[in-house]
Amino acid sequence: MADLDDIIHQPLRLKIMAALNALPPAAAGLEFSRLKKLTGATDGNLGAHIETLARAGYVTIEKAFVGKKPQTTVTATAVGRGAFARHVATLQEIIAASGRQDRD
Amino acid sequence: MMIDSREASEALTEVNEIARRVRQSTIYQLSSLFIITWGVLVAVGNLTSFLWPRSAGYFWLAVYIAGIAGSFAISAISYSKTRIRTFDVRFLIAFLLFIAFGIFTCVLGHFTAPRQIGTFWALYFMLVYTIGGLWVGHAYIAIGLSITLLTLIGYFFLDHWFEPWMALVNGGGLVLGGLWMRRN
Repeated sequence: MADLDDIIHQPLRLKIMAALNALPPAAAGLEFSRLKKLTGATDGNLGAHIETLARAGYVTIEKAFVGKKPQTTVTATAVGRGAFARHVATLQEIIAASGRQDRD
Repeated sequence: MMIDSREASEALTEVNEIARRVRQSTIYQLSSLFIITWGVLVAVGNLTSFLWPRSAGYFWLAVYIAGIAGSFAISAISYSKTRIRTFDVRFLIAFLLFIAFGIFTCVLGHFTAPRQIGTFWALYFMLVYTIGGLWVGHAYIAIGLSITLLTLIGYFFLDHWFEPWMALVNGGGLVLGGLWMRRN
């Protein structure tokens, strides 16, 4: 069985990656404010965990101005999507293995 | 790192719940623009029909043409911003079939009075909102049922002021509903 991804496994980072992966790969990502609403995180907490994901190469952070308002958009990279898919597959394997043990 | 099946199951539940919320929020964000546009057009259609009843048919034709053109424009603009496609030729075909069936029903049902026609189209559209909401999200159900109820109040209790009432509750209701969806 493959190992769980330590970076993604943290609860808030798992939520962030789940949210970004729910969008089609070609989509433009999620704005920080929307991500905050979806995950229920605080500004500081969300920012710190996004930075961790960005350092791992799992997401990109794009900062721009829309009019006079700053806007931060977070997008999952191909590496991040792959890591998330493997993480989810490992979670499913753990559940399946437990089911097999219960039957034996 | 090792976790047991209960923790794995909780994590997967969390992933599925977030994915569901993202999908719903994306649908709300994109579709609310269409709903607000159609709300404004429906309000204009009702008010112009009230002010110039003899030309009501032309106004409503113009509303539908502007609505379809506006929907294409919104679809193109939102695609350029989000890279998510909202236009699907099947939507256009479904919409045209929906309109054709509505016209057919009006003819077959001998709906001739403006109040009957106005009530039928509002209820017909809101039926689709309500049914669609069972899959898409509760906001559609709330909009569909509220406007249906307000339309029926207008039909049974307002005679001469039916169109202004419909401009307010159908057009205004769609605009408010769309804005509410954007906040959600």
